[in-house]
Amino acid sequence: MAGNVLAVTGLHKSFGGLKVIDEVSFDVARGSRTALIGPNGAGKTTIFNLLTGVYPVDAGSVVLAGSDITDIPSKDRVVHGMSRSFQNIRLMPHLSTVENVMLGQHARAHSLGQLLFPLGLVARNRWRAEAEAALAEAGLDSYPGEVVANLPYGVQKRIEVVRAMISRPQLLLLDEPAAGLNDVETRQLQALLEQVSAIGVTILVVEHDMHFVRNLCDHVVVLNFGRKIFEGSPEEVHRSPVVLEAYLGTDEPGSGEGAAGAA
Amino acid sequence: MSGYVEAQLIILCLSVIYAYAIFLPAASGQLNLGAAGFITLGAYASGWLNNADGLGLPMGVGMVLAMLFVGAIGFAISLPILRTRGVYMVLATFAFAEVVSGIAINMEFLGGAAGMPVDAHAPVEIVVAVAVAVVLFCFYFMSTRLGLALRSIHDDENVALLFGVDVRTARVVAFTVGGMLAGLGGAVYGHHYNYVEAQTFNVLLSIYILLYVLLGGTQTAWGPLVGAVFFTVIPEIFRHVAIEMGSDWLADSRFIFFGMFIVLMMVVRPEGVVTRTMQDRCAGFLSGRRGRARRAAE
Amino acid sequence: MLLLQQLINGLMLGGLYVMVAVAFTLIIGMLNFLNFTIPALFMFAAMMMWATMTGNLPFGNDFLLSAFGEHHIWIAGVVVSIVSICIVSLIIERFTYRYMKAKYGDATEHALPLVSSLGFLIIFEHLVISQWGSDPLQIESPFGDATFTIGSLIFSIPQIISLALSLGIVFLLSHIIRRTKLGRALRSIAERPDTATLMGVDVLRIVPVVYVITGLLCAISGILFTINYTSIDAYIGDTVATVAIAGMVLGGLGNVWGAVVGGLFVGILEVFSIYIVGADFVKVPIWGLLLLILVLKPTGLFGHSAIGKGKF
Repeated sequence: MAGNVLAVTGLHKSFGGLKVIDEVSFDVARGSRTALIGPNGAGKTTIFNLLTGVYPVDAGSVVLAGSDITDIPSKDRVVHGMSRSFQNIRLMPHLSTVENVMLGQHARAHSLGQLLFPLGLVARNRWRAEAEAALAEAGLDSYPGEVVANLPYGVQKRIEVVRAMISRPQLLLLDEPAAGLNDVETRQLQALLEQVSAIGVTILVVEHDMHFVRNLCDHVVVLNFGRKIFEGSPEEVHRSPVVLEAYLGTDEPGSGEGAAGAA
Repeated sequence: MSGYVEAQLIILCLSVIYAYAIFLPAASGQLNLGAAGFITLGAYASGWLNNADGLGLPMGVGMVLAMLFVGAIGFAISLPILRTRGVYMVLATFAFAEVVSGIAINMEFLGGAAGMPVDAHAPVEIVVAVAVAVVLFCFYFMSTRLGLALRSIHDDENVALLFGVDVRTARVVAFTVGGMLAGLGGAVYGHHYNYVEAQTFNVLLSIYILLYVLLGGTQTAWGPLVGAVFFTVIPEIFRHVAIEMGSDWLADSRFIFFGMFIVLMMVVRPEGVVTRTMQDRCAGFLSGRRGRARRAAE
Repeated sequence: MLLLQQLINGLMLGGLYVMVAVAFTLIIGMLNFLNFTIPALFMFAAMMMWATMTGNLPFGNDFLLSAFGEHHIWIAGVVVSIVSICIVSLIIERFTYRYMKAKYGDATEHALPLVSSLGFLIIFEHLVISQWGSDPLQIESPFGDATFTIGSLIFSIPQIISLALSLGIVFLLSHIIRRTKLGRALRSIAERPDTATLMGVDVLRIVPVVYVITGLLCAISGILFTINYTSIDAYIGDTVATVAIAGMVLGGLGNVWGAVVGGLFVGILEVFSIYIVGADFVKVPIWGLLLLILVLKPTGLFGHSAIGKGKF
């Protein structure tokens, strides 16, 4: 099915007089792998938080797969087909890997019977089987029962993706998935995201690592100071003087590295 | 069973019931320092429903109705109380317990400050049966998807929200069901001792119950069981050993050691006796062979 | 006139609650946890006062009696109380705050300090019980029945002095917090505990100071309580502290002057409740009020909305 999974129109957000997001509009095509980039403080994570309803929007609209989700509460958005990972890993530290993944199924358990089914006591049930299968598919079947707090960082990152995917989203939001990963872990993560994309799920990713973005994404939206300054393919972004200036024009050392990556 | 052992068993069973009542909200990260309030309500309600000068219902019916009554009160107050956070919730539940106790003492038809005799007697078998049922129920409850949601809320409520967990409703359920269990515990107390006196359900009781739960650990359903057993049985054993050794002072000072133990626990094992990791290790140890066989098969 | 007399009695009682309420509010405001060692400190100070004055200390009774003489033994009581509370406060600080802080990052995110402080409450109550029993203990007031009357109103001189003392101490404290270097450090910890260190505040040296200040407030309050009401027991701390907590909530968590107003108010409310509906019913108005405030306006009269929102 062609068309847009996500349509963001005229988004505005201020925190106490400070305009963080100013008139941002962009579309995410179905099946695409779109990146949201920009220097530090450009408002990328804020956009994610607006999309998932962590903050209410001041103005503008968010349409997900044809339904307007601008004002619906966070907890109902996952039902509309949106799921996310976090900049700092936010798995449940006291739950096992499989339990973390089963949390991702929560929105699909509608009836009281499903809510009160003893997942933890019945050894074989379809929820657990599904979660274990999803982990196995992602190459994470060696630690289903382990408490996630004790697992390596890269593994936790991938578990976050599996947890988000098991809610069966149409749009997967990833907030700096590659941050803090070494090369091997980055490649493993990328392979997992290729799998995700191959089954038709749209990916919207916030990322600093331009190398990662160029390898993964086919479309890039560039933000600076809460405004959209450019939009196009990775190659176009790479050549764009506007983007280069945005990165070099700030004094942040972090964005200097970003510019080096973009150049 | 000697009278002494039986008396200790009763205390243990009651502690276990109370601990699970406070565990359910604690598992979702809510500290309830108002256990005594729910226990008072349950004890008086069940006693009054059963007594000849009350409604004269059979004991079992009275206990169930009392439980529902306490659940209804718990539900009603959970809506405002769960709006409060952190220290405010601790204080609000604490205030609730004090109000209940203050009202109970002033109800003439409930015997006022002198307390209220309760007609029907619940023998030790019933007390134990109820405690076992409560433990089993809580193990079941925590293993459900709802239990998983509660544990997720404990760890990170905002993420739970993003995965579609109705955080508010889940908390109301945990608080209300917890209140019902505390009410049931109070009902059992009243029927076993055949006497209810609001002053026995005081702040210290609420504090001790919360300590059982926090020291036992809120991460798994084993926590409150271990906490309650540990902290009711160990001081008794300590007392016996001290008496054997001929030191009355040591026997009387067992709570000093209990307090020191709590303080040290918080230094060396702040997440409680039973943690999730520990449960896994035990399970792995017990089912070591089966686990290896399964891994080999895969 | 009788009502006015009750009002005066209420203010006197409230003066004692004020100091305990301020102690609670300081710890919540600075360190964001409900410190249950406060009742223990109050009770312990009262007990040391009693033990010194009645020659019941485990050791040193004869020495104190010969040094201070029978008429001034109450001064020895004050000294013993204050010194012992300072020592105890520092020990408690170690185990409720410092270790957790060092090991698990921001201690206020967890229930640990709350649980440890409950542990200390149990330790102190049972220490006192094992030493002196749990029955009420009496002392003879060193000032007798010193009173004066205006019209038909009776004023107890020790009570007037203790009210003045308590308000004076709180005034001094608020001056310290507002005007001195120590106060600036305290405020920076209260506002941004994580960045206070970066701003050059030595948190690990300031926190013990907070504990000693709260300990002193409890000690002075406990001493004055013993002198004025002459009857104490091992649970007196719980009784007083629970009412003081109500006062603190009324004033708003973390606000010193709020705790003063709240403490005085609950003192008056308690006396009037006893006078109008009887001692048995006194819990209902106080705790009912507290519950209503917590639900309707959790910030109390003058509180700051950010305080106490953390996990515990």
